[in-house]
Amino acid sequence: MSLSKKSKIAIVVILVIAITSVVVYKYSMLPPAKIESKKVDFTGTSNELLSKIQENAAEWQDKIVVISGKITSVEDKGIILSSSIYCQLRDSTLAKTLNPNSPISLKGRVIGYDDLLEELKLDQCIIQ
Amino acid sequence: MNLKLLQNFKQMKKLLLLVFLFLSGSIFAQKYYTKTGRTEFKASVEAFEPVGANNNSTTALIDIKTGNIASLLFIKAFNFRVALMQEHFNENYMESNKFPKATFKGKIVGFNFSEISGSKEYTIKGTLTVRGVTKEIETLGTFTIQGEKLLMKASFGVKPEDFDIKIPKIVSKKIAGTINISLDYEFIEKK
Repeated sequence: MSLSKKSKIAIVVILVIAITSVVVYKYSMLPPAKIESKKVDFTGTSNELLSKIQENAAEWQDKIVVISGKITSVEDKGIILSSSIYCQLRDSTLAKTLNPNSPISLKGRVIGYDDLLEELKLDQCIIQ
Repeated sequence: MNLKLLQNFKQMKKLLLLVFLFLSGSIFAQKYYTKTGRTEFKASVEAFEPVGANNNSTTALIDIKTGNIASLLFIKAFNFRVALMQEHFNENYMESNKFPKATFKGKIVGFNFSEISGSKEYTIKGTLTVRGVTKEIETLGTFTIQGEKLLMKASFGVKPEDFDIKIPKIVSKKIAGTINISLDYEFIEKK
């Protein structure tokens, strides 16, 4: 190679800077994690979740739960478990395929207690 | 004579009960709601990367008799395209652990459900509470009846400083001074 030692070092430095900036940029532009890959904070029945949340609602915000229970009603874009947990399905078209009174197991995120309609609200729900 | 009076009284009671049942029935049938309303905000400045997010889990309730409207959303349910932006929004700007909800309570001025054939505009007036700070809002909303559904579209602008949201100097150029909020709700009758 006819390149001098100085220019070789310069090329390496430029390459390193370019690669790190691409990596940093890619990392900083990463989309939010999908529900599938999120760590589960609670597994149990829908009734157990309800009674746990009644103790301290605030600390359940943004928690990932896997719950099983009976569908009490089916709505436009989601379903209701145990009469007072509204689970908004990530794929809203799935709601039509589900039937009231049948058992189900879901993974979803607790977003909070909706005091207008008096029910617990979950979003991004996927059927397990 | 006395017996007749008593019978009359009993009949009256029955009638009153019927009237009461009828009234309460119609009161319950006059609410429209959504649990999956779409609330979007845009705070983009040209030449910088877009800043904005969607909340597809907004709850809203309209009493079509009185025109009262109430809505509620959870700050954490705003979806951003970029995870880091969502994190900063929740932790630094909105402090969503401390203030998990944003609420609106107000009235659709002169709302008359039977008057909407197709589409109609009404003024919506009320108070918006974000980060525990309440501000008066007044805007126009378009209401459309589509089959069984009542659709509502509206938009308005707010300033971060109205709700004590501090934006650091380094990023202030990338975030619009007035944040545009648009609402797109599909209400169905509450049974």
